[in-house]
Amino acid sequence: MTTTAAAPPPAGVVPSSPLRKGGVLRPLRSFRILLPFAALIAVWWAIWASSEFSPQVLVSPVAVWHAFLHLVSYGVLAEYASTSLTMIGFAALLSLVVGVPIGFAVGVNRYAAHALEGFLRFLQGISGIAWLPLAIIWFGFTHTTTLVIVVYTLIVPIVFNTMIGVRAIPEPYMLALRSLGASRLRMVKDVYLPGALPSIVVGLRLGMGYGWRALIAAEMLVRKGGLGDLIFGARTFGQIDRIITGMIVIGCLYVVVDRLIVQPIENLTVARWGVLRQ
Amino acid sequence: MSDAAIERGPAGSGGGPGGRSGPRRTLQQVVWRLLPLTPFALVLLAWVAYWVIARPSAATLPAVQDVAAALWELAVKGELAIHVLASLWRLFLGVALGVATGVIGGFIVGLNKPIAQFLSPLIVFFNAISGIVWLPLVIGWLGIGTALAVFLIWNTVFFIVFQNTVLGVQLVPQVYEQGVQALGGGRWQTLSSVILPGALPYILTGLRSGLGFGWRALIAAELVGATTGLGQMIFGATEYHRSDIIIGGCLLIGLIAIAMDRWLLLPIEQRTIERWGLVFDARKAE
Repeated sequence: MTTTAAAPPPAGVVPSSPLRKGGVLRPLRSFRILLPFAALIAVWWAIWASSEFSPQVLVSPVAVWHAFLHLVSYGVLAEYASTSLTMIGFAALLSLVVGVPIGFAVGVNRYAAHALEGFLRFLQGISGIAWLPLAIIWFGFTHTTTLVIVVYTLIVPIVFNTMIGVRAIPEPYMLALRSLGASRLRMVKDVYLPGALPSIVVGLRLGMGYGWRALIAAEMLVRKGGLGDLIFGARTFGQIDRIITGMIVIGCLYVVVDRLIVQPIENLTVARWGVLRQ
Repeated sequence: MSDAAIERGPAGSGGGPGGRSGPRRTLQQVVWRLLPLTPFALVLLAWVAYWVIARPSAATLPAVQDVAAALWELAVKGELAIHVLASLWRLFLGVALGVATGVIGGFIVGLNKPIAQFLSPLIVFFNAISGIVWLPLVIGWLGIGTALAVFLIWNTVFFIVFQNTVLGVQLVPQVYEQGVQALGGGRWQTLSSVILPGALPYILTGLRSGLGFGWRALIAAELVGATTGLGQMIFGATEYHRSDIIIGGCLLIGLIAIAMDRWLLLPIEQRTIERWGLVFDARKAE
């Protein structure tokens, strides 16, 4: 099923593209996906060939391919990429483990939810990256700084959406379970978690969108490994081929993470609990 | 599941819980109104308490009054206004460009299935690298300054608005289109009286979340790619370990973001939604 909602999605959510409709097993699918990129590379090549660009401004697709092979063969790319992926994975896990319980605790009480809503909105307005200067003063140019920034970026939308999700659960469900004598744990397991899950996943997805960018930006400034370091470091030496290689890797990794991990979770929750209808 | 789920307050009455009348109710209303301030007060209290007890150095955690003083000093010197205006101007340019191109592109693509299918992989890919990822490349093309920040914001906002517009355009029920056509409406009339209003709520959702992403991209871009602006103000302060300026700047960044959302976007969005009534979920559910 598609994940398009009947009504506009909650604020701040980029709905999953309706463009990717169509069967998974279409024989022409891989061709359809690759053709636009081939066209793009052709245009890029044409622009590059049309005039004499300094290698500091634009390089040919071939040069990027060579840079890619070079980075791969020395194992540098794998190292940079794994640094970034480990960081975002760890940060996402930490944010979920800490953020979801907070969201539950706040969401079940309407006074707490009302009290915290404005505060969370305020925090969301201060992007994680804005705290980077302070984090650098506190933790130095270390991985800790990056982690703090990314967790901050991820956790705010997760707490916020968990809270919204719990608040949106129809009251009769809770009352029904409570009148049957359900314990707190039982309530969490059978009402809050399934009821709020679609909203939590929305928060996670939004948080990943913010968090991945915050990670790249933080890596650019902290300069302790990671793909952001790779592309920003290449800037200092004017290595455009490396920058473009890094950008392509960043894009591909994000698409893979989003499509292969986050979106299946979303589809699963949506299909199972059917909050968003087609 | 929308923001209004909580804002409406208990029992949807806008006031305190329960429907009792009399002085007790007004008291509860006052408490309800003041409740959002408590987290701020608690943080402030914790900050003051920590500062009084642990006495950290000014570089680690300045006193509350130091932060206020630093902001006041910058404001009096006129520097603050320069930074804020530079940031807002860039945001405005980037968002305006992003919305204009995103909506136009979204209409063209949303109304042409073959084009939509052809472009969709590119859109997915470029959306994944929208924003700050372009900085190292584009800094070499545009140099440091407003053009760079505007490019990054445009790049961020465009994809969000574009995707939402395409979604909105594609989801307008065909019946309405056919209805106008059956009454003799031309292509232009179908566009202006069916598809545009139908897609508007989606476009505005895109604008609202685009502004959120754009504001982040701006601050990130200004950290390295500018000589003025709020991002540069706080990053420049790092060198001198001026935590007071950094914290003050961060608070200001949050305040501006929340003000834009509340007084600019929320009213626009609600007015459109009320007018065209396409949302009926949580706003009335609670």
